[in-house]
Amino acid sequence: MKAIFTILLLLLYAGHVIGQSTITGRVVDEKGVGLPGVNVFLVDTYDGTSTDLEGYFSFKTSEEGNYQLKATFVGYEAMSQEITLPGDNEISVLLKEVINRLDAVVISAGSFSAGEESSREVLKPLDIVTTAGATADIAGALNTLPGTQTVGETGRLFVRGGDGYETRTYIDGMEVLESYSPSAPNTPSRGRFSPFMFKGTSFSTGGYSAEYGQALSSALILNTKDMAAQNRTDLSLMSVGADVSHSQVFGKSSISGKIQYTNLEPYFALISQRINYDKAPEAWDGNMAYRHQIGESGMLKTYANWSSSQLAVYQPQSFTNQEDRFEIDNNYHYLNVSYRDVINPKWSYNTGAAYTSSKEDIQYNDVDIEEQLFGAHVKGVVNFDPDASLSIRTGLEHYYRQHNYNLTEENEIKKNYNQHISTSFIEADYYLSNDLVIRSGVRAETNNLNRQTNVYPRLSVAQQLGEHGQVSLGYGKFSQQAQREYLRVNTNLDEEKATHYIANYQYMTGKRTFRVEGYYKSYNDLVKDGTQGPNNEGQGYATGFDVFWRDNQSVSGLDYWVSYSYIDSERDYRDYPQQATPAFSSTHNLSVVGKYFVQDIKTQIGATYSFASARPFNNPNEEEFNAGRTPAYHDLSVNFSYLYRSNVIIHTSVTNVLGVDNIFGYEYASEPNEEGIYQSQPIKQMAPRFIFLGVFITLAKNKAVNQMPNL
Amino acid sequence: MNKSILLPLLTMAVMLWSFTTPSKYEEAMKKQINNVYQANTLDEFQVVINALDRIAQNEDDKWEPLYYAGFGYVMMATRTEDATDKDKLLDQALEKVKAGLNLQPKEDELIVLEGFIHMIRVTVDPATRGQQYSGLSMQALNKALAMDANNPRAMYMLGQMELGTARFFGSDTTAPCEKLQKAVVLFENQKPEGELSPVWGQESAIRAAQACN
Repeated sequence: MKAIFTILLLLLYAGHVIGQSTITGRVVDEKGVGLPGVNVFLVDTYDGTSTDLEGYFSFKTSEEGNYQLKATFVGYEAMSQEITLPGDNEISVLLKEVINRLDAVVISAGSFSAGEESSREVLKPLDIVTTAGATADIAGALNTLPGTQTVGETGRLFVRGGDGYETRTYIDGMEVLESYSPSAPNTPSRGRFSPFMFKGTSFSTGGYSAEYGQALSSALILNTKDMAAQNRTDLSLMSVGADVSHSQVFGKSSISGKIQYTNLEPYFALISQRINYDKAPEAWDGNMAYRHQIGESGMLKTYANWSSSQLAVYQPQSFTNQEDRFEIDNNYHYLNVSYRDVINPKWSYNTGAAYTSSKEDIQYNDVDIEEQLFGAHVKGVVNFDPDASLSIRTGLEHYYRQHNYNLTEENEIKKNYNQHISTSFIEADYYLSNDLVIRSGVRAETNNLNRQTNVYPRLSVAQQLGEHGQVSLGYGKFSQQAQREYLRVNTNLDEEKATHYIANYQYMTGKRTFRVEGYYKSYNDLVKDGTQGPNNEGQGYATGFDVFWRDNQSVSGLDYWVSYSYIDSERDYRDYPQQATPAFSSTHNLSVVGKYFVQDIKTQIGATYSFASARPFNNPNEEEFNAGRTPAYHDLSVNFSYLYRSNVIIHTSVTNVLGVDNIFGYEYASEPNEEGIYQSQPIKQMAPRFIFLGVFITLAKNKAVNQMPNL
Repeated sequence: MNKSILLPLLTMAVMLWSFTTPSKYEEAMKKQINNVYQANTLDEFQVVINALDRIAQNEDDKWEPLYYAGFGYVMMATRTEDATDKDKLLDQALEKVKAGLNLQPKEDELIVLEGFIHMIRVTVDPATRGQQYSGLSMQALNKALAMDANNPRAMYMLGQMELGTARFFGSDTTAPCEKLQKAVVLFENQKPEGELSPVWGQESAIRAAQACN
């Protein structure tokens, strides 16, 4: 009996001991370096372990027979191999890094993006609206980034020696025509689109993707928000008007609408302006966004914007003691519909259509001008990702533009054109590793007016350097149709063209970013006034470098950035008699933007200092063209956002606190006076300062919601 | 003794023994749950998560290994400075929670953990993410409380979130403090459904409730 018991026990015990074997080995990466923390185990058993700091592992198992030994590690391809137990006790494993697009190096040449998701973004959507001096205008905020030039009398984005028209705006991939609201001559205009609508902004100062065309210098790519998360109503009362907006969520769809009324008359009555308004700018704006999720991954987005605005000014001419009267009435409609969906992990597509209609009635003294512009843009893009290392994007686009121009003085002059541009593009991103990516693309455009087909190549490369640094290079040829004031005179004009070369270095660690970018850009086929009308004999270049530093870490609560741009640019275009530095180009531009939240008084304080060195202007009294230089430009702007209640914010901002009397250039009389001198008057700001006051109220179920992220 | 009755007796004894002793799964889980509570460094957490992953690949109908692996990743995220790394760890955690919810859609503890993940997400960049992720967090925690009004972890974290919001806006903290005090009581009375049920959070809740006024 005792014997049986002992045998039984022995058998039980032996079962554990005799069958137990030890598996040891090492896990290394492709460079032969040991990987720590790798999970090594026998599939379908509990047996396994983690590798040590050198990649070594060792574990015991009592299993016998054929088993899969598997090694898994985040960021690496899992490996498994069959082993026979007992027997195979010494095993070495090699793990290959997987290409992960989220981790991989990103092409940063020429590009600034602001998004919500990635912590690697240089800017946040919030930055666009909290920048002092920008007064919640997208262009105003982006003007504090390197590569831009301060051209205070226009309010537009001038990028790297390019004229204002060379920056084009796209919403959800679709073209926008006339993206700025009308303004009186030599007064800044504002963008038509509120920054609050967008979840992501990508501002490219050159070298952008083949998907974007019809832009010579810069692409401003705006992506609208997805579905509204909850029902809410926002009310804003401002010194310049009021608006009300509401979002309603219905299961898989949401609708948001906003109506805004702006009238600067009371403000101008209170604070005197240099310009004598007969009718202060007054506008009604409305927009509506409808979002509908279809199936698992389909998203239909519809966005509509309309506005109707009027203004009239008397512009004194000191040299003639006369006043010019200028009146402008504008009616604007924009509609954008887009749909994107994922078919399977390898295939996805997006399509869209956009329509712009802008009708402008201008009265300049006795001259009547009626301008109409219709634009349609349709686009279809297919994305194919055969594996993690390759992504191909190809698409077709068609642009249609109709322009009617009627000028009535003594006689009526009518001009118009209908333009069709058909384009196709293909672009591939190839990841050689997580540290090296190459993007190459090509874009072909056919224009019905000049009957030309042009092909524009694009190429960029990014290489990771160490953990935080990266270098990227960009090259591309870009084109844009001639501006409509020329095209309606000569519809045969070639497209204007530019070639960009960009080299960028970026170092990002924690909440600090440093980047420096050098570039060379050449222009050709620029439109020029000739004796026989406009031709394409213009040309030019721009070269320079930009430096950007952002630090959100060194001082608790303080976030600031500094942008500096140096540029050397000359061009011969339009009415220039020779190649010269254009009037909008200043050699040095500097912006310092700071934001600080004071918890005790629940107030965010923001300040922006902008500097631009002297700008050229042409003095007809002098021999040399564009040889005059304005004084340098200085502006210090501040803003305060005070959280009165969790859902009530009081916001105030003041531009040009120091009241610097900036001069943007000079206007000259068209004829010399009796002494043979062309008389002049400076172009200045409308008023030394612009003061804004607003109260923003949010009504929502979730009390923590307010408009703070918008301010 | 009669040998004829020895064998049946022995068989019975062995059967009884195997019936009362915990299964291999529970045994392994208890060990790893203890380890995840004891872990302190990133390496230690990675080792426990690996062990839990090994259990999970062998027990594809159990939510607990996924839950504790997710919890481990959240703990790693709270011990990580770099925003990008933090996000990656939280992505891993969320992946585990989602896998767990696929098995057990009605498990309130998984939903609490999801709320916890969103809560840590806020800390990466409160100004930019506050509104979106605090909303998601509170939504998840409220959902968990709707499933089990006595879930102490859900009550504790909801109190924390509301307290943070109230302090930020300088509004009344009475309601959030009451939630924290209630959480302490719920912790004292918590009766884990099983030996593998989550029990963490009591000490933090007591500290938070004491500091709250």
